[in-house]
Amino acid sequence: MSVAIAPAVLVERSVPMAGAVELVVYHPPSAGAVRPGQFFQLAVGAPHTILRRPYSAAWSDSTRGIIGFIFNVVGAGSAWLAARGEGDELDLLGPLGRGFELDGTRPAVCIAGGLGVAVFPGVVQALVALGRKVTMLQGARTAVQLLSADRFPGADVQVATDDGSAGRRGSVLTLFPPPFTGEGQGRGIDLFACGPTPMLQALIDTARRQEIPLSSIQVALETPMGCGVGTCLGCAAPRREGGYLLTCQDGPCVRADRLDWDRMEDQFHG
Amino acid sequence: MAERLDLTVDLGRGLRLRSPVLVASGTFGYGFDAPQVDRAALGAIVTKGTTLRAREGNAPNRIAETPSGMLNAIGLQNPGVDHVARVYAPVWTSWNLPVIVNVAGDAIDEYVAVARRLDGVAGIAGLELNISCPNVADGLQFGVEPDLAAELTSAVRAVTRLPVIVKLTPNVTDIVAIARAVEDAGADAVSAINTYVGMAIDVRRRRPVLSRVSGGLSGPAIKPLALHAVWQLAQAIRIPVIGVGGITTPGDALEFLLAGAAAVQLGTVNYTRPEAAGEVHDGIAAYLEEHGWPDLGSLPIRSAGVLANA
Repeated sequence: MSVAIAPAVLVERSVPMAGAVELVVYHPPSAGAVRPGQFFQLAVGAPHTILRRPYSAAWSDSTRGIIGFIFNVVGAGSAWLAARGEGDELDLLGPLGRGFELDGTRPAVCIAGGLGVAVFPGVVQALVALGRKVTMLQGARTAVQLLSADRFPGADVQVATDDGSAGRRGSVLTLFPPPFTGEGQGRGIDLFACGPTPMLQALIDTARRQEIPLSSIQVALETPMGCGVGTCLGCAAPRREGGYLLTCQDGPCVRADRLDWDRMEDQFHG
Repeated sequence: MAERLDLTVDLGRGLRLRSPVLVASGTFGYGFDAPQVDRAALGAIVTKGTTLRAREGNAPNRIAETPSGMLNAIGLQNPGVDHVARVYAPVWTSWNLPVIVNVAGDAIDEYVAVARRLDGVAGIAGLELNISCPNVADGLQFGVEPDLAAELTSAVRAVTRLPVIVKLTPNVTDIVAIARAVEDAGADAVSAINTYVGMAIDVRRRRPVLSRVSGGLSGPAIKPLALHAVWQLAQAIRIPVIGVGGITTPGDALEFLLAGAAAVQLGTVNYTRPEAAGEVHDGIAAYLEEHGWPDLGSLPIRSAGVLANA
């Protein structure tokens, strides 16, 4: 594992969707090393906080030496990061964990609920670059919380919103399986999913009903995290054969058949 | 740093460390998962709490950040002592860094069995008895009853030639009484302190954040409490006290050394600033040099005058 604690420079800050912030940081070694689905631990300087905050790289550009992070402002740590200005230094630890396994020839379907979409710009870009047919299904509460479809060039983007303000009304799962899968339903495709635990559980339920093998589904897990490198054992996720995986080392991207979905908890992220 | 500085520490029974800066149990795994840490700056590693058989640990949530601290209820997830002795210890022999195995259990027999298994295993420099892990059923009682703490200490003492350090819980009425009991029972040193029991509630869902309801509070939030415990202990017992609790900076470590600690352990800070141990080591060295003191024994805490003004 090549892990670096690196001073990186914030070069661009924007609001990609309501409630979220996108930070673009310049750090060529990390931009060159990170794989889609991997994460970094970002140090925060907010009063009375102590832990780093784990964020997946939304995308990276090794040529320009930059990485993007997209996150919601949910607490003191994310608020502190969101308040950084261009030119400020950020302290990154990473890249950490396992990204998605992207190789393959079958159609790829990405499913994102809420902020789970934050990991997908880089994933979709890599899948498209591999020549795969890519469908991006994105769900949010309301239209302004959707990441723009032009962030997924080369993919067929479909959206759903809880209030029906954009795309189909309902959860992102109302878009699944996408029509091209036809009568075969979701078999014969590879799935990449990230979102709230209830959404992932609903996806797994759907997959079981439609006899889609869970080994064809990769999920990017989000759990509270302490160290990010496997020492604190805080980021446990239930393993199918009993015991726990560590999200930071065994994930965050894992195949769904490695997890015990009956024991998956919707964890507290305050 | 000047060559003449001597930062070695003697914790008894032949356990001499080149630095007074250790990493605390549960914050460094078994030494394999934090490659960015400079091991040369460490006096020793204290491992994750190790039990007789492998344990899977508690259900999530296991951790929660709180103001200037964090709660954890990991539940002693570990691979079991046999794995530690067979797989990890042989690697440690090549590290040129003492590894102290933290030992945990539910019963005296379990501690004794773990200590017996580790006795004579190359690569292991000492044992730290976790008589205070607040996260497993009945784990608390050894640490809160002087008689039980002493019984456990002497039972382990009887089956190992390794240095035995007892890690004390602060969740007691009189920590000095526990420390005196384990000193009399043959402990070579004590670590003070383990985490304080605390909790956090998720107001949105109206339930405890941690699956086990309560957990151990660590980090800068507990530093003043830990420091006072060390101050009390250093005056009351003759064996070395290893200070632990929220130490983050060189200044924090110096406070503990001036309070009478022979060494310090860094814990929660390892999660966020793995370079802290090196900085603390260098900061202690710089402080000694600045005052013209050649070694840790020169710190004025050993003079009765400082203590008398407590």
